[in-house]
Amino acid sequence: MTDYDHAAIDEILHSRVRLAIVAFLAGAGVADFAAVRDAIKTTDGNASVHLRKLEDAGYVAVEKRFVARKPQTRYELTEAGRQALLHYVAHLENLLPRDGSQTR
Amino acid sequence: MTENQAREDIAFIRRAIEDGRDYASARSPDMIVWGVAVAAGYLGSYAFQRGWSPLSPQWLWPLCIGLAWIYSLRGVLKRIGAPLGARNPMTAALRMLWLGCGVFLTTLGIAAGWSGDIRQGWFNAVVAGVLGIGFFGTARLVNLPWLRWVAISWWLGELALFALRHRIEAPVLAAVLMLLLQAGPGLVLLTRPAARTGA
Repeated sequence: MTDYDHAAIDEILHSRVRLAIVAFLAGAGVADFAAVRDAIKTTDGNASVHLRKLEDAGYVAVEKRFVARKPQTRYELTEAGRQALLHYVAHLENLLPRDGSQTR
Repeated sequence: MTENQAREDIAFIRRAIEDGRDYASARSPDMIVWGVAVAAGYLGSYAFQRGWSPLSPQWLWPLCIGLAWIYSLRGVLKRIGAPLGARNPMTAALRMLWLGCGVFLTTLGIAAGWSGDIRQGWFNAVVAGVLGIGFFGTARLVNLPWLRWVAISWWLGELALFALRHRIEAPVLAAVLMLLLQAGPGLVLLTRPAARTGA
């Protein structure tokens, strides 16, 4: 794999919405559905679809519980999700020149 | 992907991580921890004055306040050396407000304890007044108007604590206020289902 190997980019995280979810959860630790939806500024349906994809990929763990008799779904980044985000950021950094200058 | 896109993506990720930290910070149990720790200090002091506890306030207060500070500063310690992302200015203002209140009360408490003036009883009223300021500012910063009533309750508590400053029961009232007006709002903020506080 070279520094500019586009195939190395994680397809799951290549979506901006999923990338935002994973990054938000990396900072938040645990967050409920409303918080994730608000953070990525999208609709319930769109947030659900992307969270399901992240769950299927093993990047996000889901816990369903009741708070004051109301159902609440909480999301947490898994270790696989955290590693995927770190690799994604490392790959982006590899696309930048080492001295920090802009060439394009 | 161009270099500019990569830079934008990295900045985007940093902002999202910082948003997540802000969210976690707004829902942190710090208010509960401080409310319970200070209430324990007041009740322990009262128990000592009554002869029910052998633990002197001289040792009890540094323990309670020290543990609460360690808990609150754990996030700061974790973040030393971590890259600094874009920070929500409201969240930064909120942190600074409470940090300022905490530093002021801790330093004044140490000074008043060192000089012995704390025995005159006025310090409890100062604590209540400063917490009122903290909640009043917080109500505006996180756009939760009900926190203003908490602030007003603290200021009424300040008057009561000042009026009762020479009574041996004053620490009990202070402990009740701490549990109701510090730990209580913390519990409400932590458990309310609609997650964001607006910070």
